[in-house]
Amino acid sequence: MGVTKEQVESSLTSKLSPSHLEVIDTSGGCGASFAIEIVSEQFVGKRLLERHRMVNAALEVEMKEIHALSIKKALTPDQWKQQQQSTPSA
Amino acid sequence: MECFSISGSCVSNLHFHFTENGHSQPPLFNSQFTAFSSLILSSNFPNYPYPFILFPLQTLLHLFLAYSKALERTQSSSFGYHFGLQEPLETELVTVPEATDQLAENLPSDSGVYAVFDSNSELQFVGISRNIAASVLAHRKSVPELCSSVKVGVVAEPDRTALTQAWKSWMEEHIKATGKVPSGNETGNTTWIRQAPKKKPDLRLTPGRHVQLTVPLEELIDRLVKENKVVAFIKGSRSAPLCGFSQRVVGILENQGVDYESVDVLDEEYNCGLRETLKKYSNWPTFPQIFVNGELVGGCDILTSMHENGELDGLFKK
Repeated sequence: MGVTKEQVESSLTSKLSPSHLEVIDTSGGCGASFAIEIVSEQFVGKRLLERHRMVNAALEVEMKEIHALSIKKALTPDQWKQQQQSTPSA
Repeated sequence: MECFSISGSCVSNLHFHFTENGHSQPPLFNSQFTAFSSLILSSNFPNYPYPFILFPLQTLLHLFLAYSKALERTQSSSFGYHFGLQEPLETELVTVPEATDQLAENLPSDSGVYAVFDSNSELQFVGISRNIAASVLAHRKSVPELCSSVKVGVVAEPDRTALTQAWKSWMEEHIKATGKVPSGNETGNTTWIRQAPKKKPDLRLTPGRHVQLTVPLEELIDRLVKENKVVAFIKGSRSAPLCGFSQRVVGILENQGVDYESVDVLDEEYNCGLRETLKKYSNWPTFPQIFVNGELVGGCDILTSMHENGELDGLFKK
């Protein structure tokens, strides 16, 4: 049972070509729930709902086994750069 | 599995129910003290299953002082390491603002402990809440003269044990400093116990499982989200959400003071087949799902994001 963190990373990388991607297994390693932070050019001009839909679609296969998915950030590279500048410690 | 993260969505293909965390009490705590915690918990959980137990004040004080001494003893022996205590993220004193919308901005709608002070900065009550802002708002409405400022401690992984531990820690700190229990936490004082407000009932899509539908479920959903301004499809009911994400959505909506409808997607009697049909209708694979003016806004993550960015007021005013 469960999905590996590497599988999630692989699907998101191949479908959304992120410039930044962080996937955290929040179920303590059993692959049931993940938190995602993703930056991609493909989000340009898209509102938040559509961005989340794109992430959901990229994980369509894994979603059948994932119990809970949390998309913490879905940003364009410009937004990501802005955020990095405003929080220098991150 | 419990679904109890602070934000995110629950994939609905797994059917689950909330279960009590099978955490055993550390040997330090006797059963009487745990029972007292249930007394306080009941002020924030109206349907808490444990009986309402009364103690004479003298017994309470004795128990707390005994607890303080026991805690001092164990603090030198890696207490935190053994029992995995979570330190609440504490704030300094926050003035309780007059306006409701300011309160939502100044206080978190997360789970944790909070302490209420009157205008003389005297501690009146220490409580546990699944939605701190909503609890403080309720207190302010019922006893405004006692709610001048609050101190807040957010608990990151708010299972019942962690919340109880945080509450005990705060009570112990106060008792050590003053030698007495806050007046609001004294036995028999019902000032701070929330009188369970009449919650709006959840909507049901069908009259029951046995009734043959003459209209497709998809059309019922479409009608529902278009005839009501705000609809939240959640796991569980609004008075008892069954996952952390649905809990958070209910907390945000209650916090906004918005009039909304809720639909329990786990109700197999009245909403049978809703989960699969709604996923296709909305092109969104998880729950909760929030609709405003007939359009999907998103799940818990998006609602949380809009809440934090201050975009919700604009959304609900359209």
